[in-house]
Amino acid sequence: MKSQSLLAAATAIAGVIAAPHAATAQELVLGSFGGSFADNVTACYIEPFQEATGATVITKLGSSAQHAASVRATAGQSDMDVVFADDAFAVQMANEGLLVPLDRSKLSNAPEIIDGAWGTNDAYVAAMLGATTIIYNKDTVTTPPTSWNDLFDPKYEGRVTIGDISGTTGWQFLAAVNQMEGGTLDDITPGVEKIKPLAQSSVLLYSQADQVVALFERGEIDIAVWYPDRAGVAAKNGLPLAAAYPVEGAVGIRPTIAIAKGTSQEDLAHKFIDTILDADNQKCFSERQFIGPVNKNVTLSDEVSAIVPTGEALEKMLFLDPNDMAARLPEWTRRWQREVLR
Amino acid sequence: MKSLRTGVLLVSPLLLVLAAAFVVPLLLLVPTSFQEYRPGAGIATDSWTFANYARIFTDEFYREVVLRTIGLGTAVTASCLVLGYPVAYLIVRGDPRWRLPLTLLVIFPLMLNLVVRSFGWIVLLTNRGVVNNLLIDLGLIERPLRLMFNMTGLMIGLTHIYLPFMVLMLVAALQNVPRDVEAAASTLGSSRFHVFRAVTLPLTAPGIIAGSILVFVLTISALVTPRMLGGPTYQVMATLIYDEYMQLLDWPSGSALSFALAISTIFIIWLSSRMTRRWAGLA
Repeated sequence: MKSQSLLAAATAIAGVIAAPHAATAQELVLGSFGGSFADNVTACYIEPFQEATGATVITKLGSSAQHAASVRATAGQSDMDVVFADDAFAVQMANEGLLVPLDRSKLSNAPEIIDGAWGTNDAYVAAMLGATTIIYNKDTVTTPPTSWNDLFDPKYEGRVTIGDISGTTGWQFLAAVNQMEGGTLDDITPGVEKIKPLAQSSVLLYSQADQVVALFERGEIDIAVWYPDRAGVAAKNGLPLAAAYPVEGAVGIRPTIAIAKGTSQEDLAHKFIDTILDADNQKCFSERQFIGPVNKNVTLSDEVSAIVPTGEALEKMLFLDPNDMAARLPEWTRRWQREVLR
Repeated sequence: MKSLRTGVLLVSPLLLVLAAAFVVPLLLLVPTSFQEYRPGAGIATDSWTFANYARIFTDEFYREVVLRTIGLGTAVTASCLVLGYPVAYLIVRGDPRWRLPLTLLVIFPLMLNLVVRSFGWIVLLTNRGVVNNLLIDLGLIERPLRLMFNMTGLMIGLTHIYLPFMVLMLVAALQNVPRDVEAAASTLGSSRFHVFRAVTLPLTAPGIIAGSILVFVLTISALVTPRMLGGPTYQVMATLIYDEYMQLLDWPSGSALSFALAISTIFIIWLSSRMTRRWAGLA
């Protein structure tokens, strides 16, 4: 008798503990990038979303490549529901059948999004527009750089940093210099030859975007190939940084958001993406992260417009086909490892 | 017979865990290492190729990284041995009052996270780091020395990180050497150096072998420190494998490299332990 009542009590307690869980099982796992990006995603997207739906969002930090690798490793039953990744990696995941195509009818903000943002068959949507361009220290560089060639100027020797090819700025800078030197996507030899001495004399080839902040802070560099959004955030925190858009054109970055296959939360994931595409939230994120919005109805403040590519700089911007790049990057990386790094 | 069966029964839980957590996942990678990777499309599961292995031998870059890794392993092992032996000797044969503080000094770094220790070396070795700034302020050099992203940085970092393992192994081995044997050699007219070379050193061979193998294996498979102190420019096999998996998403090449690393490690351990055993007269 006694053991039976004990069992009943235990069941009752278990029931009480389990019940609220069943009600709030709404949990969304987001693969995000780290640093200021993650903080601003929380402030502008996650908080409004949690308020509106009552669901909780858990973030998992990593780079595009790391997210793509982990989505593949758990193929079809990803531990992430929605994931941020640069477009070349989003294409790679889509080609491998690891993404759930977006359903525009579930995205109320879809009509407000620029056309170029959508992936093939709506496999993903760009969540923002970034760039790879030249960032310099206003205090030490008096005449703003105007061309990618300025980075090769002997007066900056040993005061430059560029990204390793494992990061977005790395391969995009290679693509831009290659184009400037008359190469094509099929033949990157001119770009490789040109960059090699710069890579070897540069202070370091950074592999994480935030390493550059420390280099500017310690005064180790005057000029860098970097992201205007990270520079904008650093400038807001007191570093004397400015963005320069080269005449040859900066390179466009489209960080995308997509739904990983195997999620049990497709509807919730769509709601989260809809939150990201919302004009107010896009404005909030652009203002904090200094990055271009994809919603047509967003107007930016002057402070942000000064850093974000607009007008002529935007028109000249080089946008590389992500499908093409996904197929070329391994080969580029191999050449980089063998010819630039040695 | 019965004792054998008892023995098997006793280790079977461990065998099961090892098989499930280590052997099975490794075997699952074997087919992957023979498949073709098509950039942009993924792993072609219907393909069958030796190219991933062939590339390790034919590609100059891979070959350089393999040799560099083995060279680094050997150099770190040697420097740990040279730096660690006197410390171990002092702990065992020195003033007993010093034993505890010395042992604590050796063990203390192990209590710090690997990332923190590697980061500490970055602070010291970077272009505007403590070492370079000091040398520049003293007027000894004009431009900062390149202490990171090359062999120097990795040697310093890895030697520091794996030295405690070597010392602890050597302490255990030295404690097993009976003092009577050394005393007997001295009585028979051996000089102190000769006693050390002819008696102590060979008798501690098992510790030297164990410590060297441990440090060597840890060094060639180290990822965090080479990643932080070597950067993208100075690759070793572990960082190369990481890049193949995580950056290029080329799992077949990564798997082939992993197996090559594992096989060469096993071979080198087998060879070195054979050679050392012969030297110590144990074979």
